[in-house]
Amino acid sequence: MSSSKNNHNDTSQPTSNSTKHLLNPSLAQNIKTIKRAVGNSNDIIIREILIGKSEKQPIAIVYTDGLADKTAITDFIMESLMLDFDEPFESKSEAVNQYLKDTCLPVGDVKDIGDFPTLFNSILNGETVILLDGVTKGIATSTKSSKDRAITEPSTESVIRGPKESFTETLRTNTALIRRKIKNPNLWIKSRVIGKVTQTDIAVMYINGIANEKIVKEVLNRLDSIDIDSILESGYIEALIQDSKYTIFPTIYNSERPDVISAELLEGKVAIFVDGTPFVLIVPALLTSFLQSSEDYYQNFIISSLIRFLRFFGISISLIVPSLYVSITTFHQEMLPTAMLISLASQREGVPFPAFVEALIMEIAFEILREAGLRMPRTIGPAVSIVGTLVIGQAAVEAGIVSAVMVIIVALTAICSFLFPAYGLSNTIRVLRFPLMFLAAGFGLFGVIIGVMALILHLCSLRSFGVPYMSPFAPIIPDDQKDALVLFPRGSLLTRPRLVSKSNTIRGHKHLKNENNN
Amino acid sequence: MKKITTVILLTLLTFLLSGCWSKRELNELAIAVALGVDKTDDNYEVSVQIVDPGQISSKQPASGRAPVITYTAQGKTVFEAIRKITNSSPRKPYFSHLQVVVIGEKLASEGIEPTIDFLARDHEIRNDFNIIVANKTTAKEVLNVLTPIEKIPAQKISSSIQNSEKAWGSTLTVNIDDLITTLRSNENSPVLTAIEVIGDPKLGIDQTNVERIKTPVILEFSGLAVFKQDKFVGVLTDDESKSYNFLNDNVESTIEVISCPKEGRLSTEITKSKTKIKGKIVNGIPKLTVHIEIDQNVGEVDCTINLAEKETIQMINEKTSNLIKEKTEQVLNTIQKNYQVDNLGFSEVLHRADPKEWKKIKEDWATIFPELEVNVKVNVRTLGVGTIHNSISQQSKE
Repeated sequence: MSSSKNNHNDTSQPTSNSTKHLLNPSLAQNIKTIKRAVGNSNDIIIREILIGKSEKQPIAIVYTDGLADKTAITDFIMESLMLDFDEPFESKSEAVNQYLKDTCLPVGDVKDIGDFPTLFNSILNGETVILLDGVTKGIATSTKSSKDRAITEPSTESVIRGPKESFTETLRTNTALIRRKIKNPNLWIKSRVIGKVTQTDIAVMYINGIANEKIVKEVLNRLDSIDIDSILESGYIEALIQDSKYTIFPTIYNSERPDVISAELLEGKVAIFVDGTPFVLIVPALLTSFLQSSEDYYQNFIISSLIRFLRFFGISISLIVPSLYVSITTFHQEMLPTAMLISLASQREGVPFPAFVEALIMEIAFEILREAGLRMPRTIGPAVSIVGTLVIGQAAVEAGIVSAVMVIIVALTAICSFLFPAYGLSNTIRVLRFPLMFLAAGFGLFGVIIGVMALILHLCSLRSFGVPYMSPFAPIIPDDQKDALVLFPRGSLLTRPRLVSKSNTIRGHKHLKNENNN
Repeated sequence: MKKITTVILLTLLTFLLSGCWSKRELNELAIAVALGVDKTDDNYEVSVQIVDPGQISSKQPASGRAPVITYTAQGKTVFEAIRKITNSSPRKPYFSHLQVVVIGEKLASEGIEPTIDFLARDHEIRNDFNIIVANKTTAKEVLNVLTPIEKIPAQKISSSIQNSEKAWGSTLTVNIDDLITTLRSNENSPVLTAIEVIGDPKLGIDQTNVERIKTPVILEFSGLAVFKQDKFVGVLTDDESKSYNFLNDNVESTIEVISCPKEGRLSTEITKSKTKIKGKIVNGIPKLTVHIEIDQNVGEVDCTINLAEKETIQMINEKTSNLIKEKTEQVLNTIQKNYQVDNLGFSEVLHRADPKEWKKIKEDWATIFPELEVNVKVNVRTLGVGTIHNSISQQSKE
């Protein structure tokens, strides 16, 4: 009765891949189909064996070499089926399936498989599929091997005080790292598989009762509407689900630190894990998140507040100092103290370029050096930096191509751009420096101010999953100022960001308990 | 999309079309630090002192070139003359960093208003420079003297005028705004610091002037120049200038020397001076009282007195106050009788005190002023005697 349907599916297979084709009762036929589908790839292992003592029953064990745990297959599947299986049963019926599942497979997760797409999905995820002759249902057993990278210290967000672990490329390890920190049943995970070809696992994690349900729903909606062949890194997801596609500012935060992600989850945000990358996304992201380091919360609040001021100051320097230099020295010389003007003028004597070109040359030279340093093999890195400092710092000044002040300014902006806890924003500022320099060269301070105002307007127009990017500054939320520019002492940080977690903004044990009772 | 492209293109065009309008690179500027204005017959002669930045910077070795260059040009107006400077200067003078404006004696006696107009009107010139008058010389000669320590002579003039005002009290820093305010009021007249070139002016122009331990040619302030309206009428001596500053409430600190009861002298350091001028008009006769409150320390004792005694301190107070009273009255006399210039703002005091009565006597002010009755009341307090008590000669006697 089902064979006719299968035949029909077989014939239609070349024309339409989407038609579900079910397993064939004939084991040989199924094996043939699998081999044809994977193009005889030799890492797909199909092991045909006979089980049963009295009546031999042919079965096949299918798995992917390298993804499945071979020891588990030998110990818990092959052994139990080939050696221990000794029960009379009615062959070629689905009862065998049930019997196998119930008594013969000492493996954690077992499920039925009825069609080929599911079968391929299983074996390509490291599961082992058992196919029986005469039965149209296979058994998938979870034998995923954990060939992970070890949990190492974070390489991009290092702290002096704070946890020294970071996410790995394995989704499960990553979610487990969060589970270890937040031991609460309300920590919920919703899974998705995105990428038509890559079939990448995505996990959306949030704390039920704290996270804003609307945001959770919106995240899931946006993930579901993604139509793409491959997801190789969380950056793909980030680009596909962010609110405004045409902005240079990052509106989705990412981190490879479990403590950061946990803290954000506890503020009511939603985390998106992507299999294959240690960078976990967090939405909604506010500008302030990019300026806060997890270490701020681990040390004295006075020191943290002062360091935050330093960061804001650093942003301003790295963003506008080159353009300020260009505009003041070419348009507003009257703003400088006389002694400074004379000193600057004496350094510029003999420099052949206008200040703007000089600044442009130096900034671009630095960006080249920085990029080269990043991409170079680690062993060549120091050589690059030595050449860079010598060429840019000394030789250029001595050759009279650039003035010494310009070197100071480039060095200052460069160092300040490394002040950001989040690398994403640092790149943004790095790029924005150039348009501001153009404005400065064209219109002087007037242009710089116009540029900065345009920037602020743009920032105020941005939203991340419906939450204003500039909050708690625009709109001003008095309660959230405790953890924005300055950091209040731990004891007074009793509220969550109001616009993020709209329903449950009061932190604390009592309130979460109530939430649990509901 | 088309709209966005248009907007972006238009924005980009503004960069190109404006073409860095009014852009001036630092090495295209001739930084003018001092401006001198003289009068020659019908023309104005303008001297501009321009900095050679390479010679000021401490890093580069001095190649024997002068740190500043003075360019001179003549014109029918100040502005014309200044523009003519570009005939000789490699770069256009940039006046935002002007430190000092020197007005030649001849021009000052003919009236400074035309010069002031340019200084106040030009947008490039700020209002924080000092205006001084060249005494017995021309502005050009003042600007042609090289000065040691401060490589830029204009800087020397401007810092020395400030220091002398703070520590000695015979000079007066006047900027363009002060000057215009004074000139605009009908009764008031300005007072500017006068500067003199001591030594042979021909030597001052040479590098040798800064190579010796004793500078052959120096620039020195010679007191305050008195103006009647905008015309220079005379110079108060250094001592008179100091007393004038007491009346003008412009003394921050200075030294007064009084004689001891028997022999020898004693100098006191004035640490605070506050002057209030009060006026009233009784029966059409105006009367003014000047209250001067002074705090001082004993700074140097050159005689045998016992500073531990209350009476001695009282004596010092009395003598100082008498001295200051005497000297200020003397300078008042000079101003009232000789110059007949109301540059202490007496008319304003009376106007404020009694507007109705003032209107009646306003017309006759020019005749009333020389005969005006002014009472000077000086109150001195001695607060300290320094780190030792009695003079060393007295200590050795005991």
